[in-house]
Amino acid sequence: MSATGRGAPAQSPAADREIVISRVISAPRELVFEAFTEVRHLSQWWGPEGFTTTTRAFEFQVGGTWDFVMHGPDGTDYQEWISWTEIAPPERIALVHGESCGDPNAFESVLTFAPDGAKTRIEMRTVFPTKELRDEAVEKYHAIEGGQQTLSNLDAYVTEIDRNGGED
Amino acid sequence: MARAATTSDVFNAIAEHQRREILVLLRAGEGSVTELAQELGMTQPGASKHLRVLREVGLVRDRKLGKQRLYGLDACGLRPVHEWTGGFERFWNESFDRLDEYVQDLEQQGRRSS
Repeated sequence: MSATGRGAPAQSPAADREIVISRVISAPRELVFEAFTEVRHLSQWWGPEGFTTTTRAFEFQVGGTWDFVMHGPDGTDYQEWISWTEIAPPERIALVHGESCGDPNAFESVLTFAPDGAKTRIEMRTVFPTKELRDEAVEKYHAIEGGQQTLSNLDAYVTEIDRNGGED
Repeated sequence: MARAATTSDVFNAIAEHQRREILVLLRAGEGSVTELAQELGMTQPGASKHLRVLREVGLVRDRKLGKQRLYGLDACGLRPVHEWTGGFERFWNESFDRLDEYVQDLEQQGRRSS
């Protein structure tokens, strides 16, 4: 990574409590952005293959919320709650994501949409309140995907040695 | 996320099967280059080279014991792999796979109807 300019922080101060995911989507930016703005779109792609959502409330505006249940392929339900803190079409969406309104473990994600030729690069930067909550979220999402057997042996293997190696 | 240079990338390090075998061997406990080379049927310089890569990415650490150097597993280095295989990152990568397909369908429909 190169310096982004004078005055910019050398390294993100939140590096150990954030997760950055970057991805190119094969469609124009306006369309990709639109897919984040309506339930009829979100319900078509939210979550890995086999996951579905049931929406209780949805209001796409700053301060508005998306209150929904995510159903895992193994039948487990997860309460989800999202509130938007910034909406700047078609380039940026910031939101707080937790299990319910006022969740003290809620975390903030900032999505940016940048044109990449005829495609769109999405960057999702998620900052957790603490490093511990970041690690907890990773574990939680491990659990969410527990029903999926892909790579499960490797997964169990690294979890085991991660635990053994992490104690000293 | 921009991946680090290959020499410091844990994914690159474990892509090599002999390096994975070294990690499996080290699960049982520390070992010297000589022991590891013998177990794996490779030359000592070969084993040293693999150990150096593993050490650089934080999967293996070494310590001196008398005249010999012992290598041991440092599993904390596997954290990125652990996260990738099932954590938050994978959840979103798979969601974005679906998003990618979905918006391409939307675009097709848009073209057809206009």
